[in-house]
Amino acid sequence: MLEITNLHVRLADGGDGREILKGIDLRVAAGEVHAIMGPNGSGKSTLAAVLAGRDGYEVIEGSVRYQGRDLLQMPADERAREGLFLAFQYPVEIPGVNNTYFLRAAVNAGRRHRGEPELDAGQFLRLVRAKLKLLDIGEDLLQRPVNVGFSGGEKKRNEIFQMAMLEPKLAILDETDSGLDIDALRIVAKGVNELRSPDRAIVLITHYQRLLQYVEPDHVHVLQDGRIVQSGDKALAAELERRGYGAFEEAAGSAA
Amino acid sequence: MSAVLEFPVKPEARPYLDAFAENAGEPQWLRDLRRRSLNRFAEAGFPSRKSENWRYFDLQPLAREPLPPGRRAIFSAGVLAGVLLGGPTHRLVLADACFSPELSAEAGRDVPGGARFGSLGAALVDQRETVRAAIADTALAGPLAELDAAFFSDGFVLDAAPGIEIGQPIEIVHVASGAPASLHTRSLINLGEGSRATIVEICAGEGRYWRNDVVIARLAPGAHLTRIVVVEEGAAAVHTALFDATLGKGARLDGFCCLLGGSRARQEWNVRLAGEGATCRLDGAFLVSGDDEANIVTAIDHAAPGGQTRELIKGVAAGRGHGAFQGRIAVREHAQKSDAQQTSRNLILGRRAVIDTKPELEILADDVKCSHGASVGDLDAAALFYLRSRGIPAQAARRMLIEGFLREAADGIADAALRDYLLRRLALRLGRLEE
Repeated sequence: MLEITNLHVRLADGGDGREILKGIDLRVAAGEVHAIMGPNGSGKSTLAAVLAGRDGYEVIEGSVRYQGRDLLQMPADERAREGLFLAFQYPVEIPGVNNTYFLRAAVNAGRRHRGEPELDAGQFLRLVRAKLKLLDIGEDLLQRPVNVGFSGGEKKRNEIFQMAMLEPKLAILDETDSGLDIDALRIVAKGVNELRSPDRAIVLITHYQRLLQYVEPDHVHVLQDGRIVQSGDKALAAELERRGYGAFEEAAGSAA
Repeated sequence: MSAVLEFPVKPEARPYLDAFAENAGEPQWLRDLRRRSLNRFAEAGFPSRKSENWRYFDLQPLAREPLPPGRRAIFSAGVLAGVLLGGPTHRLVLADACFSPELSAEAGRDVPGGARFGSLGAALVDQRETVRAAIADTALAGPLAELDAAFFSDGFVLDAAPGIEIGQPIEIVHVASGAPASLHTRSLINLGEGSRATIVEICAGEGRYWRNDVVIARLAPGAHLTRIVVVEEGAAAVHTALFDATLGKGARLDGFCCLLGGSRARQEWNVRLAGEGATCRLDGAFLVSGDDEANIVTAIDHAAPGGQTRELIKGVAAGRGHGAFQGRIAVREHAQKSDAQQTSRNLILGRRAVIDTKPELEILADDVKCSHGASVGDLDAAALFYLRSRGIPAQAARRMLIEGFLREAADGIADAALRDYLLRRLALRLGRLEE
């Protein structure tokens, strides 16, 4: 599904030329859930941004293949239509654009891309209702402008709702769990677990182990200073929680 | 007119002087009005860009290639396709500045009793004093209002007695055949005490023409007028229009002005809050691309205590388009407890587009609440990425953001059907936007 090979990235301009990602190697197969954990500043969000196609980053070395294609050559919107989804750490407020209108445009853009007929207003609404029910989310967010005036928890719920509607092949969740109360965290976990299937993959980027109590990952990676310093199974997350990132920093230092 | 004039005539006024012909069938007061106005126009010429009010609007193309008034073309109903409001309205069509009974839908017959709605021509035949007094109002400022007085060929009149409520919108369609000429109408809205009406004016056409209109509104105490103007002139057309409104005690004007088409389009709204506690909400939007120009110029005069103004103008310029908003709010010395808020928000798409915004507050009273804010910016890159990250193609995402930006200006329109109509026009225009 996703093959990242020796990925080196720095800020495209305005930066100091320093590499943020210093050679990431990661393989994510269909059906798997990966957790990427690391302290602040380790490059987690940069990795998510580069995968989603955000401007402002320069790939200086390495490659990313997604479903057999060169991901880095695809515009951001094409990546999304090809089934890649990023749940934002900080969802953007868009005044004047109605949440339902926006989401219908997104769903239909994907359907057109796949050669499927577009959903009319009625069909779309039925899909919306079904997904809301599945995730136990209310309808209150639908008629408001995208993310405008949403609380932190509402914004994250909206991200998960969008993910459920778009049914991505590869979902990347960038610290979707941070700053959430336990109810919102459960909705996020439910959204991820509902999405789990043999033909989909999920990458959870997180600072804390908390979400992993609700979503069991197949693989856990520790990202430190732009490199994956250790990979393991879910036991690694528990070890991180116990020992902290400091222990891995030393390991990375001695390995280098 | 071949009379020798005793003052120098501005060269750009000469073709209009030459085109003038007195109509012996008109009443004497009107013939006098036309002649006086024409002389004043001939002396003044076009407004100069040195005058602050015309600083951002270029009339040079009209000076180089004059468009004097010409003959009326014959229209078929097809010209209205696509621009009409839809739904039940009282419709009056002014085709090449003349009332067209064939294209109008039963104008004047189905408005509630106590209100008269029809063409200016018909009202002049009736010789109603209210109409005469308002039409002959010489206080209207500016050379183009003078030119309009000299040449107006028709217009619409809504004259409502006190307490009359007109439920359905009144739809005025100004349509141009595209014959190279200038078109002049003068219209009157007269609302009696406590009466209510909604007027939607749509301006459309094809080819190179110059539309120069004046609309005069007089609102008696407690009257409520909603006036929506949508300018979608032909790509080579020039549009200049003056709206002059006077509001009595507790009267209310809800105005919306939307400039979507025409090579040069300028809407000037002068609103006088003459009675205590009058309210003006004036919102608007302009969208320019190519090398078009659009101007919204407003002057709101708080001439009595307790008046309220809310003004929100949104502008978008793409290509080599040039948009401008000039908003003046004056609060006179005795107009205490006035409350005015003006906001101008603008979006510039591309390096060659230009927007000027010029708020102007002149406050002579000391117990008032007045504020203004203006901003000019680019599309929000983070918002654009967010939409694209959901699969929406870049161009569609840009349109969505521009539409979202503009639609706030329509939020103040209470009638959902009218709001939807405007949003549809905006969306259609955005679909043709060349950035």
